[in-house]
Amino acid sequence: MLETRRLRAGYGHITVLWDLSLRFRAGALTAIVGPNGAGKTTLLRALTGLVPHAGEILFQGERLVSRTSDLAGAGLVMVPEGRMVFRDMSVEENLHLGAYPKRCRGDLGASLDRVYGLFPRLRERRRQAAGSLSGGEAQMLAMGRGLMSAPRVLLIDEPSLGLAPVIVKEVFEIIARLKQEGTTIVLIEQNTRVALGVADDVHLMRGGRVLLSEPAARVDLDRLHDLYFAREAQGA
Amino acid sequence: MTDLILQALFSGVLIGGVYALVALGLALSFGAMRIINLAHGELVLLAAYCAYLVETRTGLDPYAAIPLALLVVAGVSAVLFLMIDRIRQDRELNSLILTYAVGIILTNAILLAFASDVRSTASPTLQDAVTLGSVYAMTGEIIAFGLSLVLMVALWWWLKRSWYGRAVRAVSSNRAAATLMGISPGRTELVAFLVAGALASFAGVALYTMSVIQPALGHALTVKAFVITVLAGVGSIPGVFLGALLLGVTEALTVTLASSALQDLAGMVLFLVVLFLLPNGLFGARARRG
Repeated sequence: MLETRRLRAGYGHITVLWDLSLRFRAGALTAIVGPNGAGKTTLLRALTGLVPHAGEILFQGERLVSRTSDLAGAGLVMVPEGRMVFRDMSVEENLHLGAYPKRCRGDLGASLDRVYGLFPRLRERRRQAAGSLSGGEAQMLAMGRGLMSAPRVLLIDEPSLGLAPVIVKEVFEIIARLKQEGTTIVLIEQNTRVALGVADDVHLMRGGRVLLSEPAARVDLDRLHDLYFAREAQGA
Repeated sequence: MTDLILQALFSGVLIGGVYALVALGLALSFGAMRIINLAHGELVLLAAYCAYLVETRTGLDPYAAIPLALLVVAGVSAVLFLMIDRIRQDRELNSLILTYAVGIILTNAILLAFASDVRSTASPTLQDAVTLGSVYAMTGEIIAFGLSLVLMVALWWWLKRSWYGRAVRAVSSNRAAATLMGISPGRTELVAFLVAGALASFAGVALYTMSVIQPALGHALTVKAFVITVLAGVGSIPGVFLGALLLGVTEALTVTLASSALQDLAGMVLFLVVLFLLPNGLFGARARRG
């Protein structure tokens, strides 16, 4: 579905990602975990063209060369870190904008119903300004807005950031549900435990490289944490 | 005396409608592009001289000049946009210098083409007096005010309901997020800039039918629009409208009670007083950035 080959990206003279070759299976939820500064967000920003890259990104078997603003239309949507909702617009107007690509506009009503079905809280608050939402509600709005264009691949960046544990649980229940409905998801998460709870595949990144790629079912949490915190594996 | 003050209030409100159109154009291009178009008043003036040209050459009503004004202003706006679009560094600052220079060039081009004389409509219909109780107005003033109201509602509808209008608001609110939604920021900026030009075209023609124009007016209009935008806070059409009425009324009262020489000074004093007492503008309690 989505694949990178020797992907290299960074900011100016600083290289953040070093020859990343990753594969994201269709219909699966791939979690990318790793400590701060591992390059997780840069990876998503490279995938969506927000930072320039070298190497190849393949989307549905073809090389991705589109501009950022064409990706939503092609079915690749990012739910950015920090939600980035349109603060002075209403919840419903935010959702409308999620259906901006031409192919999605005809299904606006159906998409709205689907998103309100997933997030009943958003329906209650649909006339409210997005800037007045709580952190959890804003995260739900950012995800709902991303779903309005019925994406083939959804990239979600740090959904748990700054949220209370009970809200994190709620957000991840919805992520699990989206996976069941067949959306391919790439999830970036610092919270390894919750990420492993929903993931099919896991990649651990540190220092701009992938240190571990495994099916989630086979991950040994102790070993993962040793790599995560760069500890010498004990007794190994 | 009361009659004179009432009359000043009424005239101030009527000119305020056109000021609002000018200010909304400035605010629209600022919202989408984060640049202040210092040549915006000159675009308005260009449209006003289109109306003068059509009226004197063809004998038609000045409002017949609207298609020509839209065409001319759209052309100049497009060229201006292409120049701004080429700025690669510090766009917010460098665009000030660029648009200021374009304004000077346009003012002098108008001066060359039309001389420095003061012009106003010769249409007897537009200059007909209408009496409303103890105050009166020219038909042209009433029509211009009505046109402003209609355009403000149209702009509100466009920003609220159309896909391009929503895109303009999204880009104003959060550029990166808008891009991720599939909105092309460059195209959206161009659309916002051209709509601002269309508002300037209507404002210019309306201005010619109700007031007097001369080549140095463009700069004064930009300043007025800027004052109104700061008074109102960007992003609220009713706020801009009220700010424009306030400016119009302040100017008219100054002319009635003091001297027409102080008209432009009065606007500036109002601006300073409001900024001093209410640093967030008349209606802005919020200081936010997307």
